[in-house]
Amino acid sequence: MGFLGPNGAGKTTTLKMLSGLIHPTAGRVEVAGHVPYRRQGSFLRSISLVMGQKQQLIWDLPPLDSLRVNAAVYGLDDARAKRRITELAEMLELGDELSRPVRKLSLGERMKAELLAALLHRPSVLFLDEPTLGLDVNAQARVRDFLADINRRTGTTVLLTSHYMGDITALCPRVLLIHQGHLFHDGPLDELTERLAPCREVRLELKDPAPAEAFAGYGAVESCQGHQVRLLIPRDRLTGAVARLLADFAVVDLEVSEPPVEELIGRLFRQGVVA
Amino acid sequence: MAKSLATFRRYRRTLARFWATSLTAELEYQANFLIELLSVGGNLAGSVFLLSLFFGHGRSLGGWSWEQALVVLGVYTLLDGLTSTVLQPNLSTIVTHVRTGTLDFVLLKPIDSQFWLSARTFSPWGLPGVVMGLGLMAVAAFRAGARPGPQALVQVAVLLIASAVILYSLWFVLAATSIWFVKVWNATEVLRSALVAGRYPVAAYPAGLRTFFTLVLPVAFLTTVPAEAILGTGSSQWLLASVVVAVVSLALSRWFWGFALRFYTSASS
Amino acid sequence: MSRSPLVHGLRVARALFTSQYALMLEYRAEIALWALSGVLPLIMLGVWSGSGAGADAGLTPLQLARYFLAAFVVRQFTIVWVIQAFEEDNLQGRLSPYLLQPLPPLWRYLAAHLAEQVTRLPFVVVILALVALVLPGTLWWPSPLSFLLAVVATHLVFLLRFLIQSLITMACFWSERAAALERLQMIPYLFLSGLVAPLETFPEGMRALAFATPFPWMIWFPARLLGGGQVDVAAGFGALLAWIALLLPLTLLLWKAGIRRYSAMGA
Repeated sequence: MGFLGPNGAGKTTTLKMLSGLIHPTAGRVEVAGHVPYRRQGSFLRSISLVMGQKQQLIWDLPPLDSLRVNAAVYGLDDARAKRRITELAEMLELGDELSRPVRKLSLGERMKAELLAALLHRPSVLFLDEPTLGLDVNAQARVRDFLADINRRTGTTVLLTSHYMGDITALCPRVLLIHQGHLFHDGPLDELTERLAPCREVRLELKDPAPAEAFAGYGAVESCQGHQVRLLIPRDRLTGAVARLLADFAVVDLEVSEPPVEELIGRLFRQGVVA
Repeated sequence: MAKSLATFRRYRRTLARFWATSLTAELEYQANFLIELLSVGGNLAGSVFLLSLFFGHGRSLGGWSWEQALVVLGVYTLLDGLTSTVLQPNLSTIVTHVRTGTLDFVLLKPIDSQFWLSARTFSPWGLPGVVMGLGLMAVAAFRAGARPGPQALVQVAVLLIASAVILYSLWFVLAATSIWFVKVWNATEVLRSALVAGRYPVAAYPAGLRTFFTLVLPVAFLTTVPAEAILGTGSSQWLLASVVVAVVSLALSRWFWGFALRFYTSASS
Repeated sequence: MSRSPLVHGLRVARALFTSQYALMLEYRAEIALWALSGVLPLIMLGVWSGSGAGADAGLTPLQLARYFLAAFVVRQFTIVWVIQAFEEDNLQGRLSPYLLQPLPPLWRYLAAHLAEQVTRLPFVVVILALVALVLPGTLWWPSPLSFLLAVVATHLVFLLRFLIQSLITMACFWSERAAALERLQMIPYLFLSGLVAPLETFPEGMRALAFATPFPWMIWFPARLLGGGQVDVAAGFGALLAWIALLLPLTLLLWKAGIRRYSAMGA
C-alpha cells in the first residue's frame, strides 16, 4: 500500500499516527488489532519502522552489533536471530557489509542493513518513510524488489510513503493519494493515472525568448522564463506537438520526461485535469 | 508471574547487550584510559590539597575533622565517577535523539524508553573515579577511627544507592527538558558545576546555603549523609529521609518522562 | 585605488565582529547557561566564609567575598573555547573554505570569542545582582585606576589563554591525543590560578611553585586588582607580558605549520 503526495501533504504524519508516534487529535486509529499510540508491547513487537532520512543502526559499529541488541530487545534467542540474519542477508545481498562499521557503508548498503534490522523480528506490518530517498537508480530498484519479495513471501503488510512515482508503480497495487491532509484517492494505481491524465513534460531551450502566450496552443505552460520553457502535453498529442514546436520555434535543446507527481497533483488542484 | 520473569530476563539480556556493544566501541580508544587516569588522579590530588588548606592550625571544617572531610570527598569522587560512567554518556544523547528525530526509533522498540535512554551506553573511562572514590572513602574512614560493623555497611550501601538514584533523577529530569528546549542542551553542565558543592560536608556552608543544599539542590543527601553513615555519626532519620527522597525523585523522573513524551507525541513531524 | 591596510583591517574587524555578535545572540540561551555554570568561585566563597582559614592568611570576610566575586567575573571573561570551535569546524568541513579566504582563521575565532563575551555580559551582571541581594554590602565600586588595570589585565589573560589553547589545537594536527592536553592543563589551572582559593592561603612551598607557572596570573592577579587587594602590579603585568611574548611566536609558528600540514593531508 502506497501513500503518495507532495511534501507537506501529511504522508509522514499519517505514518507516524499509524505507527503510534503521534496521537490523532480526532478520530480513531487501529492497526493490527491494537491502538497504536498506546504503544503496547505486543503492538510494538508486530511492527517496524524504517525512515529514509534517519537510521537506527549504531554509527560507529558494524550492523551485526546493532542486530544483536535488537535481538535481545525483541526477545529473540541467539539461534533464531542468527537464522533470521542469514536468511535476510541472502535476500538483501548483504555479506561482509554486516561486519563493517555503518559509517563506512554506502547509502544503499546502509538502507539494506536498516531493512534487515527492521525485519529481524518478523513484524506483521512494516512502515517505511521515504525509503528510497537519496539512493541511486540501482539501489532503488533493489530495495523495491526486496520489499515486493518480502510482501509476497511472508505476507507482511508494507506501508510506504514516497514522492517518487517509481516506488509506487513498482510496488503498490493500492495507492492512497494525500493532498493537504485530505485523502484524494484510494484505489488501484491505473485508476489514479487515468484520473490525472497521462501527459509528458517537455522542456525547451529556445534560441530567442518568447512570451508564454505563444505556447498556449501546444499544451499547458508550466513555466516560461526567458530561454527556458516547460510545457505539459498529453501523451496522445505528444509527437504532433513536438514536431510543431520544432518547426515553429528555433529550439536549441528539447527534453521529454515524465512530469513529477507534485506537478501533476498541483496542477490538478489548481486547474483541473489536463485534457 | 512467569511473564514478569521473562520480561526481567529480557531486560537483563538487553542490558548486557547494551553494555557489550558500548564497551566494544569504547575500547577501541585505549589511550583514553591513561588520560582518564591522569585526569581523575590529578583532580583528586588537587582536591585533597585544596581541602588541606582549610585545616591549618588545628582548624576544623564545619565541625568535621580532616579525615572526616576526606570521606566526603571520597563519596563525591565515587559519584562523579558514576556520572562519567553512566549518566553523562547516556543522558547527553537525549537531546541528540530529539534533535535528529531518532527518538522515534527508541519509542517504537518494545522496551521501556527511559530504560533504553538511561542505560544504553557504558563508558569504562569513569571507572577509575569510582575505584579511587571507594578507596579514599575506606582509607579516610579508617584513619578517622570508624570501624563500621556489617549492619552499618549495609546502611552505607543503601545510602550510596539512594545518592546514585537521586543524582540520576536530577540528571534525567534536566536532560528530558530538551524535548521542549533543544537549545538548552548544556543545562546539565550547570547541574554538574553546582554539584561540586558536594565535595565539602554540608555543615561547612553558612546557614542559608546549608538549607539550599538540603532542600532545593539535595547535595547534602548525595555526599554528607552517606559519609556520616560510614563514620558512624549518621542517624536513622537521615537514612529514612534519604531513601524517601530517592524513591520520590525516581517516581518523579518517571512521571516527568511520561509527561514529556505526551508532549512529544502530540507535536507534528 | 589604494586603501591603507589599517582602514581595511578595521573594516574587516567590524564586519567580522558584527556578524559574530548576531550569531551569538542566536545562542543567548546557551550562553546564559554557560555563564551560570561558572559558579565555582561563588560556591568556594560559601566554604571559605564558613571556615576560619581565611583569617589565618590575613583576609577579612569582606576581602574574601570581594576576592571571589572578582574571580568569578574574571573567569567569565577569560573563558576560551577555540579547540571546540575548531574541531567542530573541522568535522563539518568548514575549515577548507575558511583557509581559502584572505583572512587567517585565528582572527575569526578571536572575533567569535569577543562577541560571545559581549553577549555574556548582561547575564554576568544579573548573577552579580542576585549575589548582591543575598549578600548585601559585598558589592563595591572599584577605584577607576584599579578598574582600568583589572580590565587590561583580564584582556591580557584572555589573550594568553587564547594562545595556549590555540597551541594545543594546532598540536591536534599531529596527534589525535593532543585534545587531552586541554583537559589535563585544566587541572593545574583549576587549583593554582586562585579560582578556588586565594594564593595567600597556600603554604610557602606551594605558593612558590604556583608562581613559577603562568596560572596564578590568570585569576588571582586580575581578581586582586579588581577586588582592591594588595598586589605587585608591575610583577603581574611583567609576568603576563613575558608569557605572552613566549607563546605568541610559538603559536603563530605552529599555526602556520599546522595549516600547511592540513593542506598537505588533503583536507
